Amino acid sequence: MFQKILIANRGEIALRIQRACRELGIATVAVYSDADRSALHVLEADEAYRLGPAPAAESYLRGDRILEIAQEAGAQAIHPGYGFLSENAGFAEACEQSPIKFIGPPAHAMRTLGSKIRARQAADQAGMPRVPGSTRGLASLEEAYTVAGQIGYPVMLKAAAGGGGKGMRAVAHRDELKAAFESAQSEAERAFGSSEVYLEKLIERPRHIEIQLLADEHGHCVYLGERECSVQRRHQKVIEEAPSAVVDPELRRRMGEAAARLAQSAGYANAGTVEFLLDSDHNFYFLEMNTRLQVEHPVTELVTGLDLVHLQIRIAQGEPLPFTQQEIQLRGHAIECRIYAEDPDNGFFPSPGRITRLLQPGGPGIREDSGIYEGWVVPMDYDPMLSKLIAYAPTRELAIARLLRAIDEYVIGGIRSNLGLFRRILNDAGFRSADIDTSYLDRLLANGHAATPVEAQGMNREDIAALAAAIFEQNRGAAPSAPIQQAASSAWKSTARREGLRE
Amino acid sequence: MKLQLEIAGRLRSVELETGNYEPGDSARRYAATLDGQPIEFEAQLLHPGVLSLLIGHRAYRVVFEDDAEEPAVHIAGERHLYRIDDPRSLKARRSHTQGHDGPKPIKASMPGRVVRLLVQPGDTVEVNQGVVVIEAMKMQNELKSPKAGKVADLRIAPGDTVTAGEVLVVIE
Repeated sequence: MFQKILIANRGEIALRIQRACRELGIATVAVYSDADRSALHVLEADEAYRLGPAPAAESYLRGDRILEIAQEAGAQAIHPGYGFLSENAGFAEACEQSPIKFIGPPAHAMRTLGSKIRARQAADQAGMPRVPGSTRGLASLEEAYTVAGQIGYPVMLKAAAGGGGKGMRAVAHRDELKAAFESAQSEAERAFGSSEVYLEKLIERPRHIEIQLLADEHGHCVYLGERECSVQRRHQKVIEEAPSAVVDPELRRRMGEAAARLAQSAGYANAGTVEFLLDSDHNFYFLEMNTRLQVEHPVTELVTGLDLVHLQIRIAQGEPLPFTQQEIQLRGHAIECRIYAEDPDNGFFPSPGRITRLLQPGGPGIREDSGIYEGWVVPMDYDPMLSKLIAYAPTRELAIARLLRAIDEYVIGGIRSNLGLFRRILNDAGFRSADIDTSYLDRLLANGHAATPVEAQGMNREDIAALAAAIFEQNRGAAPSAPIQQAASSAWKSTARREGLRE
Repeated sequence: MKLQLEIAGRLRSVELETGNYEPGDSARRYAATLDGQPIEFEAQLLHPGVLSLLIGHRAYRVVFEDDAEEPAVHIAGERHLYRIDDPRSLKARRSHTQGHDGPKPIKASMPGRVVRLLVQPGDTVEVNQGVVVIEAMKMQNELKSPKAGKVADLRIAPGDTVTAGEVLVVIE
């Protein structure tokens, strides 16, 4: 049994894992860069160790240093969270060769399933449907023409080492292929240090559906239903939900079994996610596997009633899965919003800085996984995610209503956030009827804002904001004992007095 | 007290009929005009920066975000940026920014760190030519020259930390 776990991450996910450890009676070791000395994951940990300067390459990516700290602190295991070292097979292997347990899959399974090209080959062997295209990197432009000609346009070029949309190009016609191939290669080279690209048939208006897997170290693997993550911007997920409005039990079973078969074929263990595209006829195609805990895991936790981080730790301790596939029941609907320090009204520019005001929502069916506090300065060095706001309710409609209610309660002051974007999406008729695909958000953002609804006495929100701003401005800088200014006498003032103004 | 403020791109005029008051004061009725229209409402400052408004029994909690550059008020999950102006300074600012000939500053679009300078002092630049790249939160942003001209003033070096709105380069 683990008595102490080092959490090799920061932000909300470090807090999320700390909470799980505390619930299981396990002590936590935090690591931090110089930019994060005052971060919540350091304040809340049992022990904290400095890693190095702010850049991730000198801190959170220093696997050697993290492994040393784990041994020095007497931790038995390392939880990598997501991002940073979580999908680094070299780091997993270094842990395997040390007394420290890596809470995640074995390095060999990560190598097979974490590389897009190798995972596609494994998917073919596991009989998993996938988007037609090349299973390996394209050697030349000539090969790209040949493959594209065989599968038919439109096609999509993708970086072999890729992620986050880097090195991806849609190609509608043959005459666009040369330019797209060259720019995808150079972008892939810059982003990942490898210019290897491959080519697939472009599925038009696909949904992004992914299957959560849990596998123990004794060969058992279960699927915990799907998540729909079709609301994306620049290939980054913005809203995730479980279950998907379009996946029925039969499709869920087929996708789940295909995903589990792939994981088992590679000797996978611990939590993992297999991502699929779903076309308009509900055919699913293997996209890639994420060999780690994902950002959006809470929606699965809410609809299954399971704690994935608890289960990750128990699996890493060598315990068998405590339930069978038949015992997993989905209940209700959960939706997650990724709250970012960015400004949707200004080109989604990042907005690091001091949080001068923070009022977080609560009440029935609301879960918030965050790593922020009032007064904290959000550093400019890392990902802009501040928090995940998640609603759970018996139905999708009620989960949307709960999220909107929670967003009304939420105030983040001092920095920009994308809260207003969620209000817009959650009120949109297309989202509400689950008429979504991976280009849904681009289409929504291309439309103008809707008019603001009329509020009290025929005024809209902007009118009320103008009044409130004027009151704050009037009070700004007033000395504590300043006498009340006598305003010029007027008809309404005397009216107000008659109505009981206390002055 | 009469105030002119710019909110959501519109210039609004607010006249408030009451004085300053302090946290702990009980609710107070205001008689105001908004763009000349009379409005009565009740307001209570709950603690500094948090205001409860009752407008015809509709309740609003308003949170003030004090920021010298761009203050804002939050109402029910929505953030409204505004700028306070008296009519003279607004006019002055407009006439100033309308000129196309004078030196033009390039300001940081976001807080961040200078990654690369694409020009040297004295370089000739075209309109929309990239001048400086800043980075924050894994996003890079290339700032472009607003006009054709010469790099007159380069106020930053790679690695510098900049704040939003800070003047980085002047093109003349």
